[in-house]
Amino acid sequence: MSENEDPTNEENNELIDNPEKTDDQTKKLEEENSDLKDKWQRALADYQNLERRTQVEISQRVSSKTNDLLLNFINIYEDFVRAENSLSKEKIDTSGIIAVIKNMENLLAENNIKPIDAIGEIFDPQLHEAVSMVVDDTLDEGTITQEVSKGYISGKAILKPSKVIVSKK
Amino acid sequence: MAEKIIGIDLGTSNSAASVMQGGKPTLIPAAEGTTVAGKAFPSVVAFSKDGELLVGEPARRQAVTNPDNTIREAKRKMGEDFLYKIQGKEYKPQQISAFILQKIKRDAEAFTGDTINKAVITVPAYFNDNQRQATKDAGTIAGLEVVRIINEPTAASLAFGIDKSKEDMKILVFDFGGGTLDVTIMEMGGGVFEVMSTSGDTKLGGADMDQALIDYVIDEFRKKEGIDLSSDSTAVTRIKEGAEKAKIELSTVMETEVNLPFIAQDPSGAKNLEVKITRAKLEDLVNPIVQRCKSSIDKALEDAKLSASDITKIVLIGGPTRMPIVKKFVSDTVGKEAESGVDPMEAVAFGAAVQAGIIAGDVTSDIVLLDVTPLTLGIETLGGVREPIIERNTTIPTSKDKTFTTAADSQTAVTINVVQGERPMVADNVSLGSFNLTDIPPAPRGVPQINVKFDIDANGILNVTAKDMGTGKDAKITIQSTTKMSDDEIKKMQEDAEGHAEEDKKKKEAVDIKNEAESFIYTTEKLVSQDLKDKIPQEKGIQITDAIKELKDSLTQDTEQIKQKLEALKTIVNEVTTELYKNASPPPGEQQSGEQQSGEQQSGEQQSGEQQSYANEQQSEEQKSDSDSEQKSENKSN
Repeated sequence: MSENEDPTNEENNELIDNPEKTDDQTKKLEEENSDLKDKWQRALADYQNLERRTQVEISQRVSSKTNDLLLNFINIYEDFVRAENSLSKEKIDTSGIIAVIKNMENLLAENNIKPIDAIGEIFDPQLHEAVSMVVDDTLDEGTITQEVSKGYISGKAILKPSKVIVSKK
Repeated sequence: MAEKIIGIDLGTSNSAASVMQGGKPTLIPAAEGTTVAGKAFPSVVAFSKDGELLVGEPARRQAVTNPDNTIREAKRKMGEDFLYKIQGKEYKPQQISAFILQKIKRDAEAFTGDTINKAVITVPAYFNDNQRQATKDAGTIAGLEVVRIINEPTAASLAFGIDKSKEDMKILVFDFGGGTLDVTIMEMGGGVFEVMSTSGDTKLGGADMDQALIDYVIDEFRKKEGIDLSSDSTAVTRIKEGAEKAKIELSTVMETEVNLPFIAQDPSGAKNLEVKITRAKLEDLVNPIVQRCKSSIDKALEDAKLSASDITKIVLIGGPTRMPIVKKFVSDTVGKEAESGVDPMEAVAFGAAVQAGIIAGDVTSDIVLLDVTPLTLGIETLGGVREPIIERNTTIPTSKDKTFTTAADSQTAVTINVVQGERPMVADNVSLGSFNLTDIPPAPRGVPQINVKFDIDANGILNVTAKDMGTGKDAKITIQSTTKMSDDEIKKMQEDAEGHAEEDKKKKEAVDIKNEAESFIYTTEKLVSQDLKDKIPQEKGIQITDAIKELKDSLTQDTEQIKQKLEALKTIVNEVTTELYKNASPPPGEQQSGEQQSGEQQSGEQQSGEQQSYANEQQSEEQKSDSDSEQKSENKSN
């Protein structure tokens, strides 16, 4: 212990002998202290933000994963709709398939997912994506004439925009 | 809380932004969610028929319905004297980029919950001063203070944490985007990055690969069913989505299937598309596109004067580099495995955020980002000769200066024409801007000392100052004016410079000799008529006058003639001056005569200096080394 104390005493004596050095040292420590306080406050704020963000992120990730899964499900649902269209053209009874499609639509509705209206609507880039245009003088400019891929909306978020063909004069 | 600074990858087709959160870069999502291309913000701006401004994903979605009022790839026009004319209004490329930056700012604020006022923006390594300035201006217009502009490959290297390595290394950055390829070779040492060379192809990208796969699927279906789906937009849309999904899957599995039931109908009934694709098949399809990347790698290595084995690290950027065949191709070409661990789509934005974090004090790093000037910067001197001030590939920030003088007696103003390019004659380079330094006190030619200083800051923005050393009066310019120089033109200029080297040398020689002759005539006339008027024998005086006349007459003739006549005049003048010194009172000791000789020589050098409109090389060299040492200390303090 005494070995440890000696240098400190020496240093103290030196500091008493040299008041300028004491001032310098105090200033340095004050600066260090304020720097550390600043860093600590920032780290604390960062942590609080991180906590809040983590909560938001968790719910965002869950909904993003659910939406991804539902989008894949929608592809299969759409295949069923295509199957029904195709088979009914061949005069085959599709009532069973229609029932399956209804169940699927209920599942989507339970998850707050709705198809985006397209055909006959005026093109809206917030909801629709235009793949091409077609000349049609009978329609208002920008009317959707064909839906090449259905779009879906979940609450206010667009899961997938409708891909459409739009009229021009 | 320190002010948040965001990092922005302002891309040609798509942009991305990132911010440091909890010490890690986080991607900022667009309000509309991510796009098919993966990056959050398509670099598309449009004005709807009602004049409504659309930016990003909505602008992309409506592009085919409104092509005249939709702007894509404004980045390619940055820094050019170009105006987009939309619905009777004119927009500069930087204003269009500003709309994208504004949207990023807004979405970043929604994401972070903070007001965002500052950003680090990335640019391609080959961007010139105007293009960098235009990018900075775009930020300002969008309400963002651009605290730093950094090169895209440098940003990507930061994202991979390469700056943390203590070793010196040479990094090859392979940036393969949707529509362009950029290869950059950088050197990292002592905590700084320097660009050694850049190369690339503006018409090569991942979109070509996607199309090859789509064409294959359509072709397979045609072979099997005899039905051409390429004109059925619903079918093509489904195939595009299916092919994209298959391409992604094939990065992890060896075989997948594009399975699209009820894709078509003919009298025999519904048709299903079922196409098996193996990784080998996909690689076979995209291989011709991948192989086209080789020449860009070779060119970059050649320009950096390196061989593949000199490369220590490979950094991959861009979606297509996720494909195993692309990774393998680059690894095989260079002979090393590429860095991994960061999504190549996000690397540039992440790196920009890391740099932003360093500036904001969120991240500690010793790194100093240094870039280089892509082309030589200089000023115009007498006879249209370009005098370089900052050579090409000089590390920035930098500051260099040279001292010049006037070309005529009682000249009270000089025009400083700032030029960029590799050719010795001003006319063959690009003028970035010019300004006048006026109110120089009337003095004989060669007497005023005008110091011209070029200062390039860390963002690559050039400030030129001209100062009359006699009066202390100065004038300056910040290079913000636009130029019609595109990337291709830069490349062309560099190639031109190489191709025209011999011809340019002759042109410059011709101007130099003419300048030298004119200057020598001026000095000799002054000598004969004033300084030595009474000391020159009459017959010698006549000889000199005749020789001056002959030299003056020869000025319109070819270089050889001027040289000959100039030599003749010099010989006579030398004879006269030698005679004069002989007749002067003999100084003690031989040493003195030696000094006289060197004195003569010096005055001769100074004359030739004046002829080129700049004086005293020695002084300018000292100043150069001064600014170099300032530069070094600046770097250290960073």
